[in-house]
Amino acid sequence: MDLFALLAVVLTPKILGTVFLCTLYGAFVGAMPGLTATMAVALLVPFTWFMDPVQAAAAIVATTTTAIFAGDISGAVLKIPGTPASAAYVEDSYRLSQSGHPRSTLYSALFASVVGGVIGVTILMFATPTLTYLSRNFSSDEAFWLAALGLSCAVLVGGPSVPRNFASLFIGLAIATVGIDVAVGHPRFTFGNVELYDGVSFIPAMIGMFALSELLRNAVGGRQSSRLRLTVEPLREALLTAARQFAALWKNVLRSATGGTFIGALPGAGADVAAWIAYAVSRRFSRKPEAYGRGHIEGVVDGGAANNAAVAGAWTPALVFGIPGDSVTAIAIGVLMMKGLTPGPDVLNTDSALVYAIFGSFLLANLMMLVTGGLVVAMATQVLRVPRAVLMPIILILAMLGGYAISGSTLAIWIILVLGLLASAMLWADIPLAPAILGIVLGRIVEDNFMVSMLKARGDLTEFFARDIAAVLGAITLTIWAILLYRALRSFIAPAKPQGSRDTTRDNTDR
Amino acid sequence: MPLKRDLVVGAALTALAIFMIWQSQGFPRIRAMPYGPDLFPRIIAGGLILAAIGIVIEGLRNARSGAATLSTATSTPPVHYAALSFVGVAALVAGFALLLPVLGFHIAAALVVVLAVPIFGGSLLLALVMGGVVPVVLHYIFYSLMRVVLPWGLLTPIAW
Repeated sequence: MDLFALLAVVLTPKILGTVFLCTLYGAFVGAMPGLTATMAVALLVPFTWFMDPVQAAAAIVATTTTAIFAGDISGAVLKIPGTPASAAYVEDSYRLSQSGHPRSTLYSALFASVVGGVIGVTILMFATPTLTYLSRNFSSDEAFWLAALGLSCAVLVGGPSVPRNFASLFIGLAIATVGIDVAVGHPRFTFGNVELYDGVSFIPAMIGMFALSELLRNAVGGRQSSRLRLTVEPLREALLTAARQFAALWKNVLRSATGGTFIGALPGAGADVAAWIAYAVSRRFSRKPEAYGRGHIEGVVDGGAANNAAVAGAWTPALVFGIPGDSVTAIAIGVLMMKGLTPGPDVLNTDSALVYAIFGSFLLANLMMLVTGGLVVAMATQVLRVPRAVLMPIILILAMLGGYAISGSTLAIWIILVLGLLASAMLWADIPLAPAILGIVLGRIVEDNFMVSMLKARGDLTEFFARDIAAVLGAITLTIWAILLYRALRSFIAPAKPQGSRDTTRDNTDR
Repeated sequence: MPLKRDLVVGAALTALAIFMIWQSQGFPRIRAMPYGPDLFPRIIAGGLILAAIGIVIEGLRNARSGAATLSTATSTPPVHYAALSFVGVAALVAGFALLLPVLGFHIAAALVVVLAVPIFGGSLLLALVMGGVVPVVLHYIFYSLMRVVLPWGLLTPIAW
């Protein structure tokens, strides 16, 4: 199957029209704070009832791809990542747009996303037969290490203070323990509320921690500035700057897209983990690691390329294993199963036409995103010109209704409130939010896989290293833990001066 | 201030850890399972305590070296006004959760918007205009376009 043959499958007026509308829809929904990629796809489900399988697949793929990119838009403009995949580098993109470069930052992110997505689907297309073979041998041991690796990365890429990153991560993990436990089915920390048995659902948690905490901080900010003070570059200049930035960083895009695809392809690790790891790797190899987290374009490009590549990669475990890489793919695979697709190691034999149509739609959606995403970036920056008194109440009501719409329960609004207050307290304490979000996402995956592995091994912990792939992943994770421990100990022994001064700069610029 | 803040943070994290350990003692164990539902809460509680110790040590060191004294230097609005706005927004969220099923989303959304606009520095006129416009737009996006099921509350008799 070559690229042109793939495109030929999807180059019909009906599919073209569907992909065009869905990239536009995905971009708008993804750009709206509080409306996530997951929600965009969930709201699309009723419409896919009226579509044939290929069209339904194309619609979902196009919406996901653009919504994941568009999450960068609200991240850069309002510091509210539209999707968890944009959380890794939101600090950088927000500060870049605060310093007068919202458009060029977003166009750089768009170019990185498009190229990342195309690389992702290309790799996926050629590698799926091989990965089908590899995934057959995947067990809970590997899945456990993978999630543990993701968590360790959260501490590695968080703020400058290791104890504070740890605090954030464990707060997130504590939230993840709410609900029925996997070992014996006992409700934990639910306070008798039956609706909490499923755990704290992720979307209201995200909205509360990122949207409400920001609204609360804006409310405290008072009246002295009634407008978001941001300057927007002219479109032409922004495009040229972005093209230059992208050209200078093409190696990063190549590296992050390749890595992102493989991370996305592993079950349990989706676009968010890919973005975190790409960001951490990028900082490690950068010439200016100290600039990360303070408005540096490199991390934004790396993360942007990785998460869109991972979106393509996430379909591998979904298709060949029936295990979705993330919540979006979970919905998507549900829809495709209703359309008659049977995920499994034999999917390339049984449903090859549909599988290749999915690849083709990915390719098409990524190319189309260049146009529709660019359009939305050009228009979305108009949001900056809207007075705060108009914008903030709208975000408030959208955040609450968005949280409610997913579950149809007011519990979502209470979760938004509680986690919004928690996040405000964390910001006051100078504790970063991002590790907590990852803790909420991955906490359950770590525990589920740990319990399954221990049940099989009858409590023998060495079993986690008994398998080849698991042993390698475990060794990497333990190495990262050792580095973190060393860094923490060293910071207590070495002079405290840089630590304190870094904290104060963050305090000042955050206001 | 930073040291005091770090002590408060350390105490809060420790309190959360103690609560988790105390609660997890009541979790059932099954003999066939090598590890029970209390394992992860206990590990997490241990992590929280370690983080709390780290933060307090960091605070003590910063206080001794005189760093981080600039953190309160930025200009902030009068405390009572800031606190009022903060509580106001939080109360709006709580109020919306309580009133959404009773009043329906049109009225509840209108109320939230009318009250939120002044908190974010808008005029009364703007509040009233937005209170009228926003529910109509929300109705169109969520109800007509996306077909999300939203409660109509008081307006149920005229729902369509």
